[in-house]
Amino acid sequence: MSKQFIAYDYGLSKYNPLETILCYDDFDRGACGWTDLTPNFTLENFDARPSIIDKAKWGPPMLSTATYSYVGTHGSMDGLYSLKLATKPVAAKYTEVPLPGSMGHAIKRISRHKSFSKLQFEMWYAYTPEQDRNGLSEQSIRAFGAFFDYQDPNSRSHIGVRYLNSVDGELKQRWQCFQMADGVTDKDWGYGSDIEWARAGVDAMWYGRRYPDGRTDGFTDIAGGEQQLCYNEADDKINWLYLRFLVDVEKREYIEMQSGDKIIPMRGYAPTKCERYARIDGLLNPSVWIETDTDRSVFLYVDSVVVSVE
Amino acid sequence: MRQFQTTVTERKLNFQGEFTTHPYEAGWASEAISFIRVEDVSGEAARLEAFVQISVDGVRWVDEGTVFQKISEKGDYFVRVSHFGGYLRLRGAATGDDANFKLTIWWVLKE
Repeated sequence: MSKQFIAYDYGLSKYNPLETILCYDDFDRGACGWTDLTPNFTLENFDARPSIIDKAKWGPPMLSTATYSYVGTHGSMDGLYSLKLATKPVAAKYTEVPLPGSMGHAIKRISRHKSFSKLQFEMWYAYTPEQDRNGLSEQSIRAFGAFFDYQDPNSRSHIGVRYLNSVDGELKQRWQCFQMADGVTDKDWGYGSDIEWARAGVDAMWYGRRYPDGRTDGFTDIAGGEQQLCYNEADDKINWLYLRFLVDVEKREYIEMQSGDKIIPMRGYAPTKCERYARIDGLLNPSVWIETDTDRSVFLYVDSVVVSVE
Repeated sequence: MRQFQTTVTERKLNFQGEFTTHPYEAGWASEAISFIRVEDVSGEAARLEAFVQISVDGVRWVDEGTVFQKISEKGDYFVRVSHFGGYLRLRGAATGDDANFKLTIWWVLKE
């Protein structure tokens, strides 16, 4: 890491960025360009193209103080505000098509400004369900993750990782990466629907068949990715956690990820290359999301994000 | 420069009977406007009522006192709110025979 940046902002000292920092977004400064992930409202009446997945109903992100009834305000890791993603209190069974509102997303839309061979995402974050009932409910969170929606003149890829926490109430607690299984067709990807137009490999957060053991058509378990994260003894106590993943974009291959102090090698895993879409060469959109496993809202708090390249 | 945020909490969603909107945190804002757009309405004598609610924790809610005029036609409607603490939402009710309101609902927030 270049030492000059530590002099600019002590908040960066808890990060390990590559040579060029594209963004350092501390949500104490506002939303920093992170917004709701929505479909394209390009049809008559500003409607979106019909799909088996209703992408217009995800829970919107918000600037949060992480406040609870009997704890009061947590604030964020080095300030008061984090970016909170909150699902709606609805979930289908793991193997079924995700319900409208069962996820929350946030995305920042940027584009490539220089040639680079490595791309890295880092964030400090916390997660918990809404404390709307008694007990400890770690198992209410199904999954969360971070990725880049990335396109160069040859192909488009979703590049990132997710933490599969729970499948229908059973804790799984392991890291997976965006890598589509072999032989998956576009129709498979859209759960066999005849109305679906999605292309296999794009938007694995909600597309791709899901299997009872936690696998999906779009996510691959990472060897050595089993990890119990620091989840406190009550749903109203949050701990800030560190996540990093590093990608070789020239080879379109993962290099490694880090969760807390655990570094997991990822050479040999590759994000799926999809046919490029019109007009979006240079797309470099970081995104985060969370999915609930049951009939309650679950929250992902993001204190800050660093995206860097070299 | 003052902080500003427009957020869509419900987007082209159909409402029948009683409902509440997605809870929204706005502790940083000192003023808020709730906009309701009636995209479509159907049913006999269909009426929509909507009330601003606040909360200490985002789980238990109380009426704040601000109320929308009764709504029965397509169009955009708003109310202003201030001094609301940390959490905001609306509760509402669509009444009338087979009443259905297709709504988009925003918070427009300013520091």
